[in-house]
Amino acid sequence: MSRPAWVVPTSFGCAIAGVGVSVYLTIAHYTSPTVLACSSSGVVNCERVTTSAQSQVAGIPVALLGLVWFLAMAGLCSPWAWRSPAPWIRVVRQVAVWTAMVFVLWLVYAELFVIRAICLWCTVVHVLAFALFVIVLLYGSEAAGSEP
Amino acid sequence: MTNRTAQKKQQSSKAKPTKGRPTPKQQKGGRQRSQYPWFAIGAVVVIVFVMVGLSVYNHVRTPATPGSSGSAKVIAAVTSVPASALDTVGAGQGVSPPTAIASGAPEVTSGGKPEVLYIGAEYCPYCAAQRWPVVVALSRFGTFSGLGLTTSSSTDVFPSTPTLTFHGSTYASDVIAFSGVETNTNQLAATGTGYEALDTLTPEQQQLLQTYDAPPYTSPAGSIPFLLIGNRYVITGSSFHPDVLQGKTWRQIASALSDPSSPIAKNVLGSANMMTAAICELTGGQPSNVCTAPGVTAAAATLPSA
Repeated sequence: MSRPAWVVPTSFGCAIAGVGVSVYLTIAHYTSPTVLACSSSGVVNCERVTTSAQSQVAGIPVALLGLVWFLAMAGLCSPWAWRSPAPWIRVVRQVAVWTAMVFVLWLVYAELFVIRAICLWCTVVHVLAFALFVIVLLYGSEAAGSEP
Repeated sequence: MTNRTAQKKQQSSKAKPTKGRPTPKQQKGGRQRSQYPWFAIGAVVVIVFVMVGLSVYNHVRTPATPGSSGSAKVIAAVTSVPASALDTVGAGQGVSPPTAIASGAPEVTSGGKPEVLYIGAEYCPYCAAQRWPVVVALSRFGTFSGLGLTTSSSTDVFPSTPTLTFHGSTYASDVIAFSGVETNTNQLAATGTGYEALDTLTPEQQQLLQTYDAPPYTSPAGSIPFLLIGNRYVITGSSFHPDVLQGKTWRQIASALSDPSSPIAKNVLGSANMMTAAICELTGGQPSNVCTAPGVTAAAATLPSA
Protein backbone atom coordinates (compact mmCIF):
# COMPACT_ATOMS: atom_id res chain seq x y z
CA MET A 1 0.00 0.00 0.00
CA SER A 2 1.33 3.42 -0.81
CA ARG A 3 2.00 5.79 2.03
CA PRO A 4 -0.29 8.84 1.85
CA ALA A 5 1.47 12.06 0.93
CA TRP A 6 0.53 13.73 4.22
CA VAL A 7 2.37 11.22 6.40
CA VAL A 8 5.86 12.66 5.99
CA PRO A 9 5.05 16.38 6.49
CA THR A 10 2.55 15.66 9.28
CA SER A 11 4.87 13.43 11.28
CA PHE A 12 7.81 15.78 10.80
CA GLY A 13 5.59 18.75 11.72
CA CYS A 14 4.35 17.01 14.89
CA ALA A 15 7.94 16.26 15.93
CA ILE A 16 9.06 19.84 15.31
CA ALA A 17 6.03 21.21 17.19
CA GLY A 18 6.89 18.82 20.03
CA VAL A 19 10.44 20.16 20.10
CA GLY A 20 9.05 23.69 20.39
CA VAL A 21 6.67 22.93 23.26
CA SER A 22 9.30 20.82 25.05
CA VAL A 23 11.82 23.66 24.83
CA TYR A 24 9.18 25.94 26.38
CA LEU A 25 8.52 23.47 29.22
CA THR A 26 12.24 22.87 29.77
CA ILE A 27 12.90 26.61 30.04
CA ALA A 28 10.03 26.87 32.52
CA HIS A 29 11.50 24.01 34.53
CA TYR A 30 14.93 25.60 34.80
CA THR A 31 13.71 29.15 35.35
CA SER A 32 10.25 29.57 36.83
CA PRO A 33 7.00 27.69 36.20
CA THR A 34 5.24 31.04 36.17
CA VAL A 35 6.62 31.72 32.66
CA LEU A 36 4.07 29.21 31.33
CA ALA A 37 0.99 30.83 29.83
CA CYS A 38 -1.39 28.67 31.83
CA SER A 39 -3.72 28.74 34.80
CA SER A 40 -2.13 28.18 38.22
CA SER A 41 -5.32 27.42 40.12
CA GLY A 42 -8.09 24.88 39.78
CA VAL A 43 -7.98 21.66 37.82
CA VAL A 44 -5.92 23.14 34.99
CA ASN A 45 -2.73 24.05 36.81
CA CYS A 46 0.53 23.85 34.87
CA GLU A 47 2.58 25.09 37.81
CA ARG A 48 1.34 22.37 40.13
CA VAL A 49 2.17 19.70 37.58
CA THR A 50 5.54 21.04 36.47
CA THR A 51 6.76 21.47 40.05
CA SER A 52 5.43 18.14 41.32
CA ALA A 53 7.60 15.22 42.39
CA GLN A 54 6.52 13.52 39.16
CA SER A 55 8.07 16.29 37.04
CA GLN A 56 11.40 14.51 37.36
CA VAL A 57 12.43 10.90 36.76
CA ALA A 58 15.63 9.84 38.50
CA GLY A 59 16.52 13.50 38.83
CA ILE A 60 16.02 14.23 35.13
CA PRO A 61 13.25 16.72 34.30
CA VAL A 62 10.44 15.10 32.32
CA ALA A 63 10.40 18.20 30.08
CA LEU A 64 14.03 17.52 29.14
CA LEU A 65 13.26 13.85 28.42
CA GLY A 66 10.43 15.03 26.16
CA LEU A 67 12.73 17.42 24.35
CA VAL A 68 15.29 14.70 23.69
CA TRP A 69 12.55 12.35 22.46
CA PHE A 70 11.03 14.88 20.08
CA LEU A 71 14.47 15.77 18.71
CA ALA A 72 15.05 12.07 18.03
CA MET A 73 11.61 11.79 16.43
CA ALA A 74 12.30 14.83 14.27
CA GLY A 75 15.26 12.92 12.88
CA LEU A 76 13.37 9.64 12.56
CA CYS A 77 10.41 11.35 10.86
CA SER A 78 12.40 13.61 8.58
CA PRO A 79 11.80 13.21 4.83
CA TRP A 80 15.25 11.65 4.58
CA ALA A 81 14.43 9.03 7.23
CA TRP A 82 11.06 8.18 5.64
CA ARG A 83 12.83 7.72 2.26
CA SER A 84 15.60 5.61 3.74
CA PRO A 85 15.31 1.87 3.07
CA ALA A 86 17.34 1.09 6.24
CA PRO A 87 15.24 -1.30 8.36
CA TRP A 88 16.76 -0.10 11.64
CA ILE A 89 15.06 3.28 11.22
CA ARG A 90 11.64 1.61 11.17
CA VAL A 91 12.52 -0.50 14.20
CA VAL A 92 13.83 2.45 16.22
CA ARG A 93 10.79 4.53 15.25
CA GLN A 94 8.44 1.80 16.46
CA VAL A 95 10.32 1.31 19.73
CA ALA A 96 10.43 5.07 20.29
CA VAL A 97 6.69 5.62 19.88
CA TRP A 98 5.80 2.64 22.07
CA THR A 99 8.16 3.81 24.81
CA ALA A 100 6.75 7.32 24.60
CA MET A 101 3.15 6.12 24.72
CA VAL A 102 3.75 4.04 27.87
CA PHE A 103 5.43 7.06 29.44
CA VAL A 104 2.59 9.37 28.38
CA LEU A 105 0.03 7.02 29.94
CA TRP A 106 1.99 7.07 33.19
CA LEU A 107 2.16 10.87 33.10
CA VAL A 108 -1.58 11.16 32.44
CA TYR A 109 -2.18 8.80 35.37
CA ALA A 110 0.08 10.95 37.57
CA GLU A 111 -1.75 14.13 36.54
CA LEU A 112 -5.21 12.69 37.14
CA PHE A 113 -4.67 10.61 40.27
CA VAL A 114 -1.50 11.75 42.04
CA ILE A 115 -1.10 15.46 41.29
CA ARG A 116 -4.82 15.96 40.55
CA ALA A 117 -4.17 18.77 38.13
CA ILE A 118 -3.83 19.04 34.38
CA CYS A 119 -1.03 20.87 32.61
CA LEU A 120 -2.26 22.23 29.27
CA TRP A 121 1.18 22.39 27.69
CA CYS A 122 1.95 18.86 28.84
CA THR A 123 -1.33 17.77 27.25
CA VAL A 124 -0.25 19.36 23.96
CA VAL A 125 2.93 17.29 24.16
CA HIS A 126 0.90 14.15 24.91
CA VAL A 127 -1.38 14.75 21.93
CA LEU A 128 1.61 15.28 19.62
CA ALA A 129 3.22 12.09 20.92
CA PHE A 130 -0.05 10.22 20.37
CA ALA A 131 -0.29 11.58 16.80
CA LEU A 132 3.21 10.30 16.09
CA PHE A 133 2.27 6.97 17.70
CA VAL A 134 -0.72 6.63 15.36
CA ILE A 135 1.21 7.63 12.23
CA VAL A 136 4.16 5.37 12.95
CA LEU A 137 1.97 2.40 13.84
CA LEU A 138 -0.14 2.79 10.70
CA TYR A 139 2.54 3.73 8.20
CA GLY A 140 5.92 3.31 9.86
CA SER A 141 6.35 -0.41 9.31
CA GLU A 142 6.52 -0.21 5.54
CA ALA A 143 9.87 -0.16 3.82
CA ALA A 144 10.58 2.98 1.84
CA GLY A 145 10.84 1.01 -1.37
CA SER A 146 7.58 -0.86 -0.91
CA GLU A 147 5.39 1.68 -2.60
CA PRO A 148 4.23 0.66 -6.06
CA MET B 1 -14.72 -30.28 -0.03
CA THR B 2 -12.37 -32.43 -2.21
CA ASN B 3 -8.66 -31.68 -2.49
CA ARG B 4 -9.13 -30.64 -6.10
CA THR B 5 -11.85 -28.14 -5.29
CA ALA B 6 -9.77 -26.73 -2.47
CA GLN B 7 -6.74 -26.31 -4.73
CA LYS B 8 -8.88 -24.54 -7.33
CA LYS B 9 -10.24 -22.19 -4.70
CA GLN B 10 -6.75 -21.45 -3.40
CA GLN B 11 -5.51 -20.77 -6.90
CA SER B 12 -8.39 -18.46 -7.64
CA SER B 13 -7.76 -16.50 -4.44
CA LYS B 14 -4.07 -16.11 -5.35
CA ALA B 15 -4.81 -15.32 -8.97
CA LYS B 16 -3.59 -11.99 -10.25
CA PRO B 17 -6.30 -9.56 -11.13
CA THR B 18 -7.26 -9.00 -14.70
CA LYS B 19 -6.16 -5.78 -16.36
CA GLY B 20 -8.21 -2.74 -15.45
CA ARG B 21 -10.48 -4.63 -13.11
CA PRO B 22 -9.33 -4.54 -9.49
CA THR B 23 -10.26 -7.28 -7.07
CA PRO B 24 -12.33 -6.34 -4.02
CA LYS B 25 -9.10 -6.42 -1.97
CA GLN B 26 -7.45 -3.92 -4.25
CA GLN B 27 -10.48 -1.73 -4.06
CA LYS B 28 -10.08 -1.67 -0.31
CA GLY B 29 -6.50 -0.57 -0.64
CA GLY B 30 -4.25 -3.37 -1.78
CA ARG B 31 -2.59 -5.92 0.44
CA GLN B 32 -4.36 -6.59 3.70
CA ARG B 33 -3.06 -4.53 6.59
CA SER B 34 -2.41 -6.06 10.00
CA GLN B 35 -5.01 -5.21 12.61
CA TYR B 36 -2.36 -4.70 15.29
CA PRO B 37 -1.97 -0.91 14.90
CA TRP B 38 -5.69 -0.36 15.35
CA PHE B 39 -5.81 -2.57 18.43
CA ALA B 40 -2.85 -0.68 19.92
CA ILE B 41 -4.31 2.74 19.14
CA GLY B 42 -7.71 1.65 20.43
CA ALA B 43 -6.15 0.32 23.64
CA VAL B 44 -4.40 3.62 24.32
CA VAL B 45 -7.61 5.58 23.68
CA VAL B 46 -9.62 3.27 25.96
CA ILE B 47 -7.03 3.50 28.76
CA VAL B 48 -7.07 7.31 28.59
CA PHE B 49 -10.88 7.42 28.58
CA VAL B 50 -11.09 5.07 31.56
CA MET B 51 -8.57 7.15 33.51
CA VAL B 52 -10.37 10.42 32.70
CA GLY B 53 -13.72 8.84 33.62
CA LEU B 54 -12.45 7.58 36.97
CA SER B 55 -10.85 10.94 37.68
CA VAL B 56 -14.05 12.87 36.92
CA TYR B 57 -16.00 10.41 39.07
CA ASN B 58 -13.62 11.00 41.98
CA HIS B 59 -13.70 14.74 41.44
CA VAL B 60 -17.46 15.18 41.78
CA ARG B 61 -17.75 13.20 44.98
CA THR B 62 -18.57 14.49 48.47
CA PRO B 63 -16.88 17.43 50.26
CA ALA B 64 -13.92 17.09 52.58
CA THR B 65 -14.53 15.35 55.86
CA PRO B 66 -12.26 12.82 57.57
CA GLY B 67 -12.43 9.48 55.85
CA SER B 68 -14.54 10.76 52.95
CA SER B 69 -13.38 10.68 49.37
CA GLY B 70 -13.73 14.47 49.27
CA SER B 71 -10.62 14.61 51.42
CA ALA B 72 -8.69 13.81 48.26
CA LYS B 73 -9.03 17.42 47.11
CA VAL B 74 -7.55 18.73 50.34
CA ILE B 75 -4.72 16.22 50.25
CA ALA B 76 -4.04 17.03 46.61
CA ALA B 77 -3.83 20.75 47.42
CA VAL B 78 -1.46 20.20 50.35
CA THR B 79 0.81 17.80 48.49
CA SER B 80 1.20 20.08 45.48
CA VAL B 81 1.37 23.65 46.71
CA PRO B 82 2.36 26.00 43.84
CA ALA B 83 6.08 26.73 43.82
CA SER B 84 5.31 30.42 43.32
CA ALA B 85 3.40 30.55 46.63
CA LEU B 86 6.27 28.84 48.47
CA ASP B 87 8.79 31.22 46.88
CA THR B 88 6.75 34.30 47.71
CA VAL B 89 6.38 33.29 51.36
CA GLY B 90 10.08 32.44 51.76
CA ALA B 91 11.04 32.25 55.44
CA GLY B 92 7.46 33.19 56.36
CA GLN B 93 6.11 34.67 59.53
CA GLY B 94 6.20 33.43 63.12
CA VAL B 95 8.24 30.36 62.26
CA SER B 96 10.35 28.84 65.04
CA PRO B 97 13.73 27.58 63.85
CA PRO B 98 14.74 23.96 64.51
CA THR B 99 17.46 22.92 66.92
CA ALA B 100 20.71 21.89 65.25
CA ILE B 101 22.28 18.60 66.25
CA ALA B 102 25.99 18.74 67.03
CA SER B 103 28.13 17.58 64.13
CA GLY B 104 29.42 14.04 64.34
CA ALA B 105 26.09 12.54 65.40
CA PRO B 106 25.49 9.08 63.90
CA GLU B 107 23.64 9.12 60.61
CA VAL B 108 19.91 8.48 60.75
CA THR B 109 19.00 6.41 57.71
CA SER B 110 16.40 3.97 56.48
CA GLY B 111 16.82 1.81 53.40
CA GLY B 112 20.11 3.54 52.66
CA LYS B 113 18.52 7.00 52.53
CA PRO B 114 18.63 9.77 55.14
CA GLU B 115 15.51 9.55 57.27
CA VAL B 116 13.01 12.11 58.46
CA LEU B 117 11.09 10.84 61.49
CA TYR B 118 7.86 12.32 62.78
CA ILE B 119 6.33 11.13 66.05
CA GLY B 120 3.06 12.60 67.23
CA ALA B 121 -0.53 11.74 68.11
CA GLU B 122 -3.87 12.56 66.54
CA TYR B 123 -5.28 14.16 69.69
CA CYS B 124 -2.36 16.60 70.02
CA PRO B 125 -3.16 20.16 68.74
CA TYR B 126 0.48 21.09 68.18
CA CYS B 127 0.91 17.93 66.12
CA ALA B 128 -2.18 18.98 64.16
CA ALA B 129 -0.50 22.24 63.22
CA GLN B 130 2.88 20.67 62.50
CA ARG B 131 1.60 18.04 60.05
CA TRP B 132 0.59 20.67 57.47
CA PRO B 133 4.12 21.97 56.79
CA VAL B 134 5.62 18.49 57.17
CA VAL B 135 3.36 17.20 54.36
CA VAL B 136 4.01 20.28 52.20
CA ALA B 137 7.78 19.96 52.64
CA LEU B 138 8.03 16.21 52.13
CA SER B 139 5.81 16.34 49.04
CA ARG B 140 8.60 18.29 47.34
CA PHE B 141 10.90 15.26 47.68
CA GLY B 142 8.49 12.39 47.07
CA THR B 143 4.92 11.15 47.09
CA PHE B 144 2.54 10.30 49.90
CA SER B 145 -0.11 7.62 49.61
CA GLY B 146 -2.93 6.97 52.04
CA LEU B 147 -2.88 10.28 53.91
CA GLY B 148 -6.10 10.91 55.82
CA LEU B 149 -7.84 13.81 57.52
CA THR B 150 -8.52 14.10 61.22
CA THR B 151 -8.76 16.71 63.99
CA SER B 152 -7.02 17.23 67.28
CA SER B 153 -8.90 16.46 70.47
CA SER B 154 -12.11 18.41 70.99
CA THR B 155 -11.34 18.80 74.69
CA ASP B 156 -7.72 20.02 74.54
CA VAL B 157 -6.38 23.50 73.79
CA PHE B 158 -6.98 24.62 70.19
CA PRO B 159 -9.84 22.11 70.09
CA SER B 160 -10.62 20.13 66.95
CA THR B 161 -7.84 21.69 64.88
CA PRO B 162 -8.21 20.30 61.34
CA THR B 163 -5.20 18.31 60.24
CA LEU B 164 -3.93 15.30 58.33
CA THR B 165 -2.83 12.00 59.79
CA PHE B 166 0.16 9.85 58.92
CA HIS B 167 -1.53 6.76 60.32
CA GLY B 168 -1.86 4.25 57.46
CA SER B 169 0.08 6.40 55.00
CA THR B 170 3.19 5.52 53.03
CA TYR B 171 5.83 7.73 51.48
CA ALA B 172 8.12 7.12 48.51
CA SER B 173 11.08 9.26 47.49
CA ASP B 174 14.32 8.77 45.57
CA VAL B 175 16.32 10.85 48.02
CA ILE B 176 14.90 10.47 51.54
CA ALA B 177 12.94 8.08 53.74
CA PHE B 178 10.11 9.19 55.98
CA SER B 179 8.37 7.53 58.91
CA GLY B 180 5.26 9.10 60.41
CA VAL B 181 4.10 7.60 63.68
CA GLU B 182 0.81 8.50 65.36
CA THR B 183 0.93 6.94 68.81
CA ASN B 184 -2.70 7.70 69.76
CA THR B 185 -6.06 8.52 68.20
CA ASN B 186 -8.14 11.59 69.12
CA GLN B 187 -10.64 9.38 70.95
CA LEU B 188 -10.54 9.12 74.73
CA ALA B 189 -9.55 5.68 75.90
CA ALA B 190 -12.25 3.45 77.35
CA THR B 191 -10.30 3.41 80.58
CA GLY B 192 -10.96 7.15 80.89
CA THR B 193 -7.28 7.99 80.96
CA GLY B 194 -5.51 9.29 77.89
CA TYR B 195 -6.37 8.42 74.31
CA GLU B 196 -6.75 5.16 72.43
CA ALA B 197 -3.40 3.74 71.29
CA LEU B 198 -2.66 3.70 67.57
CA ASP B 199 0.81 3.16 66.05
CA THR B 200 3.70 1.55 67.90
CA LEU B 201 7.27 2.81 67.80
CA THR B 202 9.95 0.44 66.56
CA PRO B 203 12.94 -0.09 68.88
CA GLU B 204 15.03 2.13 66.58
CA GLN B 205 12.44 4.92 66.69
CA GLN B 206 12.21 4.56 70.46
CA GLN B 207 15.99 4.93 70.65
CA LEU B 208 15.97 8.07 68.47
CA LEU B 209 13.18 9.55 70.59
CA GLN B 210 15.13 8.93 73.78
CA THR B 211 18.28 10.44 72.30
CA TYR B 212 16.93 13.53 70.57
CA ASP B 213 13.62 14.28 72.31
CA ALA B 214 15.52 15.12 75.47
CA PRO B 215 17.95 17.73 76.79
CA PRO B 216 20.04 19.37 75.38
CA TYR B 217 17.81 19.32 72.31
CA THR B 218 14.49 19.88 74.04
CA SER B 219 12.98 20.23 77.44
CA PRO B 220 10.98 18.59 78.85
CA ALA B 221 11.95 15.26 77.36
CA GLY B 222 9.40 13.31 75.39
CA SER B 223 7.48 16.27 73.92
CA ILE B 224 5.39 15.77 70.80
CA PRO B 225 5.25 16.49 67.99
CA PHE B 226 8.81 15.35 67.49
CA LEU B 227 10.42 15.83 64.10
CA LEU B 228 13.92 14.51 63.51
CA ILE B 229 15.52 15.60 60.23
CA GLY B 230 18.31 13.04 59.80
CA ASN B 231 21.23 13.72 62.07
CA ARG B 232 20.98 17.48 61.46
CA TYR B 233 17.93 19.03 63.12
CA VAL B 234 15.28 18.39 65.76
CA ILE B 235 11.95 20.17 66.05
CA THR B 236 9.75 19.57 69.07
CA GLY B 237 6.39 21.27 69.23
CA SER B 238 4.86 23.01 66.27
CA SER B 239 6.95 25.35 64.14
CA PHE B 240 4.17 27.97 64.21
CA HIS B 241 1.29 28.86 66.51
CA PRO B 242 -1.77 26.58 66.03
CA ASP B 243 -4.03 29.55 66.67
CA VAL B 244 -3.76 30.54 63.00
CA LEU B 245 -5.74 27.40 62.07
CA GLN B 246 -8.55 27.89 64.57
CA GLY B 247 -12.07 27.97 63.19
CA LYS B 248 -10.94 26.90 59.73
CA THR B 249 -11.98 23.82 57.78
CA TRP B 250 -9.53 21.50 56.02
CA ARG B 251 -10.58 22.98 52.69
CA GLN B 252 -10.11 26.56 53.86
CA ILE B 253 -6.63 25.76 55.11
CA ALA B 254 -5.74 23.91 51.92
CA SER B 255 -7.05 26.77 49.75
CA ALA B 256 -5.18 29.36 51.81
CA LEU B 257 -1.90 27.65 50.95
CA SER B 258 -2.20 28.92 47.37
CA ASP B 259 -2.50 32.50 48.61
CA PRO B 260 0.92 33.64 49.86
CA SER B 261 -0.61 36.74 51.45
CA SER B 262 -2.79 34.69 53.83
CA PRO B 263 -1.64 34.26 57.44
CA ILE B 264 -2.02 30.49 57.06
CA ALA B 265 0.32 30.41 54.07
CA LYS B 266 2.88 32.62 55.82
CA ASN B 267 2.98 30.26 58.80
CA VAL B 268 2.56 26.88 57.11
CA LEU B 269 4.60 27.56 53.96
CA GLY B 270 7.27 29.43 55.92
CA SER B 271 7.63 26.37 58.16
CA ALA B 272 7.59 24.08 55.12
CA ASN B 273 10.39 26.08 53.45
CA MET B 274 12.43 25.88 56.65
CA MET B 275 11.93 22.08 56.79
CA THR B 276 12.70 21.80 53.08
CA ALA B 277 15.96 23.70 53.54
CA ALA B 278 16.88 21.39 56.43
CA ILE B 279 16.07 18.27 54.38
CA CYS B 280 18.11 19.63 51.46
CA GLU B 281 21.17 19.44 53.72
CA LEU B 282 20.51 15.71 54.01
CA THR B 283 20.00 15.15 50.29
CA GLY B 284 23.04 17.10 49.17
CA GLY B 285 20.85 19.69 47.49
CA GLN B 286 18.67 17.25 45.55
CA PRO B 287 16.31 17.75 43.80
CA SER B 288 18.10 20.86 42.64
CA ASN B 289 14.97 22.66 41.47
CA VAL B 290 13.56 22.33 45.01
CA CYS B 291 16.72 23.08 46.96
CA THR B 292 17.65 26.14 44.90
CA ALA B 293 14.13 27.60 44.91
CA PRO B 294 14.13 31.19 46.21
CA GLY B 295 11.78 30.31 49.08
CA VAL B 296 14.04 27.51 50.27
CA THR B 297 17.25 29.52 50.05
CA ALA B 298 15.58 32.32 52.00
CA ALA B 299 14.54 29.86 54.70
CA ALA B 300 17.97 28.19 54.69
CA ALA B 301 19.48 31.46 55.86
CA THR B 302 17.43 31.18 59.06
CA LEU B 303 18.64 27.67 59.97
CA PRO B 304 20.91 27.52 63.00
CA SER B 305 24.36 26.01 62.67
CA ALA B 306 25.53 23.12 64.83
